Amino acid sequence: MSSSTSKAIDPSSVELWDHSHHHHDVLSTRTFGFWLYMLSDAMIFALLFAAWGVLSYSHSFAGGPIPADFVKPGYAFLQTLALFGSVLAYGFTMVALKNGNKAGVISGLWGALILGAAFLALDINDVVHLLDAGITPQRSGGLSAFFILTQTHALHILFGLLWMLVMLVQVSRFGFTTEVVGRMLTLRLFWHFQAVIWVFVFVFVYLRGMLI
Amino acid sequence: MLVDLQGPWSPLLGRLALSQIPYENHILAPLFVVVVILGLAIIAAISYFGKWGYLWREWLTTVDHKKIGIMYILIGLVMLFRGFMDALMIRTQQAMAVGPDAPGYLGALHGYLAPYHFGQIYSAHGVIMILLAATPLLVGIMNVIVPLQIGARDMAYPYLNALGLWVTAAAAALVMVSLFVGDFSHNGWFGIAPIFELSYSPGVGVDYWMWVMQLTALGSTLGSINILATVVKMRAPGMTWLRLPIFTWAAVASNIIALTSFPALTVALALIGFDRYLGTHFFTAGLGGNLMLYTNLFWIWGHPEVYFVILPAFGMISEIIPTFSEKPLFGYVTMVLATFGIAGASWAVWLHHFFTMGAGPAVNSFFSVATMLVGIPTGVKVFNWAFTMYRGRLRFETAMLWAVGAVFLLLLGGLTGMMLAIPAINYMVHNSVFVIAHFHQMLLVIVYAIFGAVTYWWPKVFGFKLNEAWGKAVFWLFTAGSVLVFVPMFTLGFMGMTRRLDYVFNTQWQPLLDIQVLGIAVYSLSVLAFVGMLYVSIRDHAKNQVSVDAWGTARSLEWMTPSPVPFYNFAVVPHINARDEWAWRKEHGFTDLRPDHYEDIHMPKNTGIPLILGALMFLLGFGLTWRIWWLCALSLALIIALVIIRSFDSDTGYTIPADEVERMERGHHERARAVDLPAAGVLGGAIAYGQADPAVKGQGAALGGGMTSPEGSRV
Amino acid sequence: MSHDNPLQHPEVQVASGRGYLLTFLVSTLLMGVALFLVTSHSVAPFGLMLALSLCAGLAVIVQIYFLMHMDLSEAQIWNTFALVLTIPLFILAIGLTAWMFQELYQRTMVMLPGMPGMLH
Ligand code: HEM
Ligand SMILES: [Cu+2]
Repeated sequence: MSSSTSKAIDPSSVELWDHSHHHHDVLSTRTFGFWLYMLSDAMIFALLFAAWGVLSYSHSFAGGPIPADFVKPGYAFLQTLALFGSVLAYGFTMVALKNGNKAGVISGLWGALILGAAFLALDINDVVHLLDAGITPQRSGGLSAFFILTQTHALHILFGLLWMLVMLVQVSRFGFTTEVVGRMLTLRLFWHFQAVIWVFVFVFVYLRGMLI
Repeated sequence: MLVDLQGPWSPLLGRLALSQIPYENHILAPLFVVVVILGLAIIAAISYFGKWGYLWREWLTTVDHKKIGIMYILIGLVMLFRGFMDALMIRTQQAMAVGPDAPGYLGALHGYLAPYHFGQIYSAHGVIMILLAATPLLVGIMNVIVPLQIGARDMAYPYLNALGLWVTAAAAALVMVSLFVGDFSHNGWFGIAPIFELSYSPGVGVDYWMWVMQLTALGSTLGSINILATVVKMRAPGMTWLRLPIFTWAAVASNIIALTSFPALTVALALIGFDRYLGTHFFTAGLGGNLMLYTNLFWIWGHPEVYFVILPAFGMISEIIPTFSEKPLFGYVTMVLATFGIAGASWAVWLHHFFTMGAGPAVNSFFSVATMLVGIPTGVKVFNWAFTMYRGRLRFETAMLWAVGAVFLLLLGGLTGMMLAIPAINYMVHNSVFVIAHFHQMLLVIVYAIFGAVTYWWPKVFGFKLNEAWGKAVFWLFTAGSVLVFVPMFTLGFMGMTRRLDYVFNTQWQPLLDIQVLGIAVYSLSVLAFVGMLYVSIRDHAKNQVSVDAWGTARSLEWMTPSPVPFYNFAVVPHINARDEWAWRKEHGFTDLRPDHYEDIHMPKNTGIPLILGALMFLLGFGLTWRIWWLCALSLALIIALVIIRSFDSDTGYTIPADEVERMERGHHERARAVDLPAAGVLGGAIAYGQADPAVKGQGAALGGGMTSPEGSRV
Repeated sequence: MSHDNPLQHPEVQVASGRGYLLTFLVSTLLMGVALFLVTSHSVAPFGLMLALSLCAGLAVIVQIYFLMHMDLSEAQIWNTFALVLTIPLFILAIGLTAWMFQELYQRTMVMLPGMPGMLH
């Protein structure tokens, strides 16, 4: 390309150095990197689903309890409502952020936090009951896959709640600085993505599990 | 919830006990003494010369991508040496333990390494060479070069970059600690289900292996995010995608693979962890577990991983060959497409590592065909390199020797890979040393490319060239060693020798094993020559100073910066006008590297937090390995707390005023002018070409003038 | 683009209460339909799988568009690009794994009739 022709170029017509003062976009650089992380996180879930696919044949449960014996789909739907509600609340938080409404952001965050905690409480309650009933991840390969997949999602929720707490402090302390807004944006990616993962967990682990 | 352990456990020390220190071992105990003495000597030397402050300010807390890259490379070199010592032991043991009459020493029945010890050595060798030698070396070179090639001041996330480095360092430290505290896995580098389950491997070896691999997975994921975001978001104005230097393209493809495939390793290892710590049944032989699920998950990562390491190597070859052929790269666009073709195809071939699982003809055929398809883009690359050299003005300097050597090895490794990709052949040679020879050819491609790249970019980073004569000695010794080790290995593979043998039953194989020992001896000489090369080059560095364009015929953007590169890379960000910008500027005489005015530069501040986080990761890995729960809880809590605390710190950058930049730049230019005069004589050949043949006008031109005067360099 | 005020950034401005509400309603509805299909036992297994996958797929598409804001606008194009690049890999990883083990089990496991595996 370059060495093909060497016809003289007028030095005054070429731009050799960048003096355009272009600022690189800090916020989207940040969200892009975080999004890449989310995709690799999604790959973790994809492979857990692959493991669940391999370990959810009837023989995977080694004669022990199968999901049809213990999954309560209505209960899982309640969790769905809590999580989708939390995601919606975080959505309204972002609308408040767009309008520079600090009180709105704070109350939105609280809403998302409480509904997310409700989801987690439902999940923990469910797990405790299962363990009490002797339905444990140690019972069979199928149950190992069931528990690890669902609880990996729950762990993400826990992490998100912790993050929201931090953001509550930072929003009230620093206001809407570039850093804080950047973190609100990445948390949005994180939190909303948990809804996407949950759709798969709900449908392909809880509901589909009932058909094994 | 936790499994019951066989053997003692205490709340304070977990499974750790004095008996876990192998002080009665005849190899490890003396080695330990040597390491301690060396460590003390280094600490004493740093204190004596009062260099702690320098070390802390300039290296340990740095967020400069070049220094981080150099530290990655240092880790890689140290671990390369450790892996090489393992190889030395594997080769000598196999040659000594042939036939029932072979004598035994140091408590071994045959040879000098008991099976249990031998198993740890080959497992550690594989893990170290792939994840802690090749990967850090490549990541280090990408770290140094990619931002320079795209005209950026640093990575997109300098802080994350440092974190990736220290996580990798934690992994390296953990694998080294396993030498002296407890033992390492003897399950091979990829782990064999269900032997790694707690009931069959009750010790801490597998745990060490698991956590070392987890840490490298974390480090690589962080690193890949950084490189991808850097290339997408930080390119200088005018640096369109089709002007991107080819090494940067390779880095992009390679890091896409890393980003998407390392999660598979994370998952595979985490599930082993659940089996070993919680007693789940993912990979157990009974109760609904599935052994092959592990193998499957591992190779979903494992195969893309081998391309993660080879694509940057291809990129390096693609930079070196044009420079020393004094021609632009042939078929740039096809090269890019081939790179992505390989990256894409590498995602649908992993079952070729376990054809013998017996998933049936349809599955095996699919993966066989998919594997062979990889040969097409690989072939495109080989032809592109060949056509680049065709009618070029070839200069066989050391870097070029390595690059051309790599291409030959690629042919050998690729063709044997094609053989392995045919299930009917694979059923015969699977798990034989033929496979070992195949992938060592491939990994040698990487080693060759790395040595080439180190030679090639060394002057850019340090401001002087490595000694050519010694470099060529390293090359030829290394090549002789490779031939002597791996030709017999291919032969032994065909003769039926399986891999990982601590005892060789067939006495007829003795001569071939002996030749391999000769080969590893020659390899050892090349290691000595490498050290000699470093010594001589550093001793004579004043004589080998270079200015911007060290080789005279380089083409891409990194050669427009002073050598060594200042910490801010570009005083003023260049505006890109062409693919191979520097070649274009030389051709049109725009070689004056002084812009008309300078501006303030904003740079990230140093921080010690990544280093501390790395240390905590190490403690976490150590605590998990030994099941010291309080240590795990404490280090995890500290990690989370530190991340949160850091997020409250908004003062993470500083500004260098324009006149300060100008002052520093003047220093660089003065140095370059001083260097240029003698250097012109040394590299006169390159200039002479430029003058003699108008067809390559301008390619070597900048050297005469360098940065001093644009007129002078217009040949 | 000047981002002196981070709130003016396109990724902040893209927020839309209506879109979020719509996503909530649509995905809750779809999950409810899936729940009903499974608990009412009104569809044959094969059709049921298809219907379930359809519900999940639709919900996810809606969420990716309205919640994650994946589109071709200048602010989002790279995120969308990265997603589009990785989706085939998810499919390969899950699909090929499912396929190879399905084939393997057919050859090595006793598959009880009337007890279908997950992936039939
Ligand atoms: C044309 C390209 C290639 C083909 C067709 C190919 C094919 C194969 C096949 C079929 C196997 C399985 C052998 C067996 O275990 O029975 C294999 C193993 C292996 N290959 Fe390749 N390969 C290629 C390129 C590479 C590259 C570029 C690398 C690394 C940089 C590599 C590294 C490995 C490794 C590490 C193993 C074996 C790992 C182990 O079993 O420990 N291969 N290759
Ligand atoms: Cu492979």
